Amino acid sequence: MSALACARVRVLLEPYVDGDLALADPGTAQALRDHLLTCVDCRRQHEQAVSLPFRMKALRSPSPPESLISGVMRSIAPQPQASRRAWGLLIPEALLGAFILWYLSGLDGLSALASGGWSDLQGLAFWGSGAAPLPSIPVADVLLLGAFIALAAIAAYHLSILAKLDQIPVPDLRERRRA
Amino acid sequence: MHAQAAAEALPMTGLPDARAAAGQLIRQATGGDLEAFEELVRRLQRRVYGFAYQHLRDLDEAHDLTQEIFVKLFRNLARYDAERPFEPWFWKLAANTTINYRRKRVPTPTDQSADQQVSEAVSSVPAHDPTLVDALAQLDPAYRLPILLHYYADLPLEQVAQSLNLTVPAIKSRLHRARALLRNALAESEETGFQ
Repeated sequence: MSALACARVRVLLEPYVDGDLALADPGTAQALRDHLLTCVDCRRQHEQAVSLPFRMKALRSPSPPESLISGVMRSIAPQPQASRRAWGLLIPEALLGAFILWYLSGLDGLSALASGGWSDLQGLAFWGSGAAPLPSIPVADVLLLGAFIALAAIAAYHLSILAKLDQIPVPDLRERRRA
Repeated sequence: MHAQAAAEALPMTGLPDARAAAGQLIRQATGGDLEAFEELVRRLQRRVYGFAYQHLRDLDEAHDLTQEIFVKLFRNLARYDAERPFEPWFWKLAANTTINYRRKRVPTPTDQSADQQVSEAVSSVPAHDPTLVDALAQLDPAYRLPILLHYYADLPLEQVAQSLNLTVPAIKSRLHRARALLRNALAESEETGFQ
């Protein structure tokens, strides 16, 4: 095996130190060993290569701050209070809405509205299936239906906002740390 | 069952009793027990914070990254397969969080250069091996991450490879290259010191 140049030795030092070179190419490993016997500079590099993993393992870092765990636990705390309050608001909203409806039309009025709406829908369904002509629906009923659809859409949007609030929030770690 | 394997992963498991306790802890945390999760964080925090600090060389950033890793751990616990060892799964999550954390850091006009950050960090925290700390800080993150996972977090090569989605030969090659770069930096620094 021919002698190795210093540049080549430097490239092979890590596989040599790990023992990979001896397994993959025993001849080159022997040549490298011979080179180290005669070259002071490469021997110094070899010493560095040998000691480096130990120095890495011995590396010390500062201790984690006391606030770390409490910060993490705050970040993952389930059901933030604001979210619970927002959900809780739905109850008075529903109660108030029912009261207003009852006050404006009375229970009889409500049931009349419901049965009128139902017969309108039935008429539309028959018309859609070809079993009956297009029914004449009072303008007031059409407006009421439109208002109902709008109310449902707004309520769905409101609920989707509340549902997002309920998910575990992405914590603003910087804010929390500096607070 | 792998509660035991998971338990072995945690750095407080010298005795069989301690291993069983750690396995139980991971199971409880996976089941949503916040107290068990807190204890899990308590046991992992030193290694994770140290890893984050050695990677970022900044105390505040290390704090943020460590918190982010643990929050991600909590959110992803349900995906952890208790039949597999905990440690590689956890460090994969930590490595991914670290890679993304660096990516989303947007440099601002007030950001200092890497050299300034290093010298500040070194001056604010006493380093017992300053030349190595400096050399490590100069290393490209693609090399620094496997070095820290293998030598600092003490993961075997297979687990480092899993954590970084690379093959074992690729990780080995990267580690050799990283160590050669560190060795050259250390040799240069020594030469400068001697002059």
